[in-house]
Amino acid sequence: MSISEYVLSMARASTTSDVFNAVADVHRRKILDVLITGEKPVGAIVGDLSMSQPQVSKHLRVLSEVGLVRCRAEGRRRLYRVAPEQLRPVHDWVGKYERAMNDRLDRIDDYLQELQRQGDGSDT
Amino acid sequence: MTPNRHGSAVIEFPSELEIVITREFEAPIALVFDVLTKPEHVSKWGATPPDRMTECSIDLRVGGSYHSSFVTGDGTVFSFSGTYLEVEPPTRTVETWLFNCWPDAEAVETMELHEHEGVTTLTWKLAFSDKAGRDHVTRFDGQQDSLDEMEDILRSLLDPSRA
Repeated sequence: MSISEYVLSMARASTTSDVFNAVADVHRRKILDVLITGEKPVGAIVGDLSMSQPQVSKHLRVLSEVGLVRCRAEGRRRLYRVAPEQLRPVHDWVGKYERAMNDRLDRIDDYLQELQRQGDGSDT
Repeated sequence: MTPNRHGSAVIEFPSELEIVITREFEAPIALVFDVLTKPEHVSKWGATPPDRMTECSIDLRVGGSYHSSFVTGDGTVFSFSGTYLEVEPPTRTVETWLFNCWPDAEAVETMELHEHEGVTTLTWKLAFSDKAGRDHVTRFDGQQDSLDEMEDILRSLLDPSRA
């Protein structure tokens, strides 16, 4: 299977997961970065980022819908935390890409080793 | 015994406009430079089977141009071209980078080599000049069109042969 088919199949598979859409937005990634340090109420997220509370709430809703963020009530507060296991599809997808990139560089490596074994690499 | 460095490439996105890939090779710098910049060498490793490299021309001098083309198993043609801005064998080349699938994206590619105790480190950087180019890399809206583009992006990232 060529890399193009391989990558295309990965890309198609990813349409089944909205997690990719959720992390495509830079604001939502910033919110995840804040929450990865620990559970927080909306107000604390707003305080850490230059975003309005309605904006943060809107993004939290998207993140919650795809399961990347979980919410629980503590008294009158709602606390948000990251569910990092839901990032698995993104992690897997990037991992496949890294392997494909490595394949190409490994091929250069093998070729360099072959040239050196042949003692054929001294021309410049 | 040569250590096996397979799978050791480091891929970083230092900013939304840049992609940087670092990889060490157990070979002298002059040889690595030749393998990355001479068509007779690039044609040996350039294509991932069953893709074929159908064209590889490199005029390695400031103002000179390069062009490489690939045909995939299903007949799709990918090509990369550009003009050399800096050529400093065996340590560095800087060149413009054009990809036929992204006519609106302009980028500058920098290849740097550094040798230390017989190990040569390749640092390959692709820097997009503006948002149009950057958006190819960052667009990720879940639509099939952009996913198809993503495939093109990945393919282009897999092709450092103009370095």
